Amino acid sequence: MQFLRLPLKYRLLIPLIVVLLAVLIYPLIFSFWVSLHDYRLTALHEVQFVGLANYIGLSGKMSYWNALRNTLIFVFLAVGLQTIIGFGLALLLHRPSRFRNFFRAVLLTPMFITPIAVGLMFRFMLNLQVGVLPYLLDKVGVTIDWFSPRLALFSIILIDVWQWTPFMLLLLLAGLESLPVEPFEAARVDGASAWSTFWKVTLPLMRPVLIMALIIRMLDAFKVFEYIYAITQGGPGERTETILWHIYKVGFRFFRMSEAASMAYVLVLVTLVLVVALYYNMKRGEYRP
Amino acid sequence: MNIYRRRRQLCSIVITFISLAALVAVLFPYFWIFLTSFKPPGLVSRPDVWFFVPSFYNWEDVIVRGGTIRYIFNSIIVGMVTVAISLSVGSLAGYSFSRFNTGGGGARFSILAAKMLPPAVLIIPLFLLMYELALLDTLIAIIAAHLTFILPLVTWFLIGFFDEIPRELEEQAMVDGATHFQAFYKVILPNILPGLGGAGIFAFVLSWNDMYYAMLLAGGDSKTIPVAIAGYWTFRGIEMGKMAVAMVAAITPVLVASFFVQKHLVKGLGGGGLKY
Amino acid sequence: MRQKRIKMGGFLAIVCLSLAMVVGLVGCVPAPVAPTTLTIIMEEVPDTDVVKELIPQFEAENPWLRITIEALPYAAMRDKMLTSFLAPESIYDIVIADNPWMDEFASAGFLEPLDERIAQTPDYDFDDFVGPLRDIGVVQDKIYGVPFYNYALALIVRQDLFDNPDVQAAYEERYGKPLAVPTTLEDYLEVSKFFTEQGIYGAAMQPERGYKIFEEWKNWLYAAGGRLMDAQGNTVLDSPEARRALELYIEQFETSAPPGSLSWGFDDALRSVAAGEAATMMSYNWMLPTLNDPDGPAGELAGKFALYEVPGGRGVLGAWHWAIPHNAVNKDAAWEFISWLTSKEIDKQRVILGGAPTRTSVMTDQEVWEKGFGREYYETILSILEDAEPLARGKRAEEVIEVVGTELNMAVARDKTVDQAIRDAAKQVEEIVRR
Repeated sequence: MQFLRLPLKYRLLIPLIVVLLAVLIYPLIFSFWVSLHDYRLTALHEVQFVGLANYIGLSGKMSYWNALRNTLIFVFLAVGLQTIIGFGLALLLHRPSRFRNFFRAVLLTPMFITPIAVGLMFRFMLNLQVGVLPYLLDKVGVTIDWFSPRLALFSIILIDVWQWTPFMLLLLLAGLESLPVEPFEAARVDGASAWSTFWKVTLPLMRPVLIMALIIRMLDAFKVFEYIYAITQGGPGERTETILWHIYKVGFRFFRMSEAASMAYVLVLVTLVLVVALYYNMKRGEYRP
Repeated sequence: MNIYRRRRQLCSIVITFISLAALVAVLFPYFWIFLTSFKPPGLVSRPDVWFFVPSFYNWEDVIVRGGTIRYIFNSIIVGMVTVAISLSVGSLAGYSFSRFNTGGGGARFSILAAKMLPPAVLIIPLFLLMYELALLDTLIAIIAAHLTFILPLVTWFLIGFFDEIPRELEEQAMVDGATHFQAFYKVILPNILPGLGGAGIFAFVLSWNDMYYAMLLAGGDSKTIPVAIAGYWTFRGIEMGKMAVAMVAAITPVLVASFFVQKHLVKGLGGGGLKY
Repeated sequence: MRQKRIKMGGFLAIVCLSLAMVVGLVGCVPAPVAPTTLTIIMEEVPDTDVVKELIPQFEAENPWLRITIEALPYAAMRDKMLTSFLAPESIYDIVIADNPWMDEFASAGFLEPLDERIAQTPDYDFDDFVGPLRDIGVVQDKIYGVPFYNYALALIVRQDLFDNPDVQAAYEERYGKPLAVPTTLEDYLEVSKFFTEQGIYGAAMQPERGYKIFEEWKNWLYAAGGRLMDAQGNTVLDSPEARRALELYIEQFETSAPPGSLSWGFDDALRSVAAGEAATMMSYNWMLPTLNDPDGPAGELAGKFALYEVPGGRGVLGAWHWAIPHNAVNKDAAWEFISWLTSKEIDKQRVILGGAPTRTSVMTDQEVWEKGFGREYYETILSILEDAEPLARGKRAEEVIEVVGTELNMAVARDKTVDQAIRDAAKQVEEIVRR
């Protein structure tokens, strides 16, 4: 019972450490070990240490880099659109109006639906032959093949926007509601226009919330999997092959776990760089009234 | 004055239009899925048919013969337990990180970083671990997996909430004779209750939405609703009518719940959880 | 303050209660009871439902055995089976293996050889299974799987269109020969273009990247005289025949398939045919009864579809096999069930209930014809099965299918030239096989 004599601040951490050790740290170390070995699930008696060979081998894997590129495009466009639309709607809903609560309640719902259902739903609704959206567009004389090579990734992005803009909306709305009123009153007294109030007061005040929302959403967007699983399976060609899908394929369909593990670790590195950049950006530019 | 009024009018027209557009964009897919769930099999792939005699064939098949209700129940249990564990463990740790700055900024950041680990890194070891513990195909396996990404996020949220609470609060309680831990759960926790609620709902949504872990770690009677929905996409094609029923059945309780909780969610997350 | 404390207490109570509830519920794993329970992993398909219907009969005949079926979506099966194979004791007593997995699982030592058990089972008549189906379960001269059901590809057409005198006359006028169900790729292309001109798309195709396009295009490859690998397992994909097959396939896609169908899988193609948008499709032979079912997806069009061999006559054969994991606990009981279910008598019942046939004796059985879908249907399937070629063989078939399927899809999307796609595909297959 030695640990009972630890200071409170460490004792409080014990449950967290125990849980994370079991479900997170151990798997993490195991995966890293796997990434340093030739570890194929169909040949477990032949496992051998290969050092960094798996990582070095990645450089020649065009499919992997293509998947990484697709994922980055996906993340930036999807999260970007979500931020812009979400911010717009948040400002709109922040104004008092009669139907505000109803609007807000409805607009937040998509994020509560499991992504696999959203993916299959849109696969069905965007199908050029049997889907209702192309049917309606056809009525007004527009024919769009949503899953053609040029549009497929973009369509997946739109689906993500449909589902996750509500999340942005939620966080930004929460942020707007917790803003202090004084700076806005000061701006009004100074006779600032709505436009300049937004740029000079709202945006800087919202900065921490915005960056925080961006970080959370980006981390999730990197994990896009269900839509790909449900709609394109990475195609046409490799146009919508995203990183998690690719890793899943190599690891679970082809059973080459060590290669998959090394891919996953490179991915962690990439996301880490992005998040650190954002995080320090947030720290540095904190608004002080 | 006239110009001003006209501008305001224009403004409100634009706002109404945007609101309506957003509303339609969100509601139309629900409407269409709802409609599809009542279509007889021959009409499912006919986007031009909007009026028809409703058929209860799909509903009977999915609700009466299938296990959809059970799978929804499974999802609810997984979500609730994950949330309960995350909140209790996360609030203890969050308090420590916030008040004592345990581990400094680095610790705070690693907590966040834990959320970015791709599930593909964790799934194989988790699977082997669950096998060793004979927990495969149980809800416990799914709960454990969900903790990997939900617990760090909840902890991170809670750190922010605790940061907002003035230190004087527990100092006062301790002067009154409470131990530090008593001050924590008798004074501080009640104060972040809205935050706990907000983080809890958010965590529940994340758990409810996950298919990846649930698909690989459990099955059969321990299926969750996302896995069950994916199951209607069989080798012989998407059974859209039946899937529509499962979707409606899965969406409705969450939509109803979200109507009631959304206000608290906004308020809860707004209480400071977003700052760091 | 007091009120807040009560709230907090309530909150903790809810937490505890939900925890307790879960521990209670999750702990309800059925305890081993007197009869042995066999767990089978299967796919969520109608053929599994047919097996489920037969289980009460088996349990009545074998009161000491209980059967539990875990039906999963296709994508989840492979992972679950693999992890079960790796465990000290298999979770499943019986597995079903898809055609591309057979060599991989058998050579990794995951499956139990069945030769002796088959030999010791009276009246089993293993040779009654159609030859190509039987061979898929044989790896390095040992039997690792017995056929469950087939998914050989066939040509499904709208017979009413081919029989329509107006359509026939229009075709004859245009091409100077009578309209017939195509037996070569050239004819198929011509007929498809003709139908498209007539206002119904000639062919609903499934060029979805990976498995689907591979499965469909391989029929074209055979018809053009090409192959993926030769008898020694060398890659011979890089050939003029393969290029020709792909060129024709793309031409058909661009001239006669519904627009925007580049990502279509088999289900989209089926829907399109069922909705009366397309006149033909290459698909699984057992889709015919589904299409001809008045309560099925085709609605009013039911009864107007007919089944033929694919152009060229050599179709792709997919098949599921029953197998026993090497680490299964109740191997004898597992074989008890498998041999019962695949015996001549029960297999007949299975096919009558709508299962896809595997045994010659069943497909030539008078009773099956009457209670099933008619003599012509079963005879066509038998002739399809007899000269079908397996979808893919080899230890890395899964990856080969994915890689070739990606290159093919790129060529159809015009991301790559036909020549480049075939060359790249062949190169990658060689690498995969060599590894």
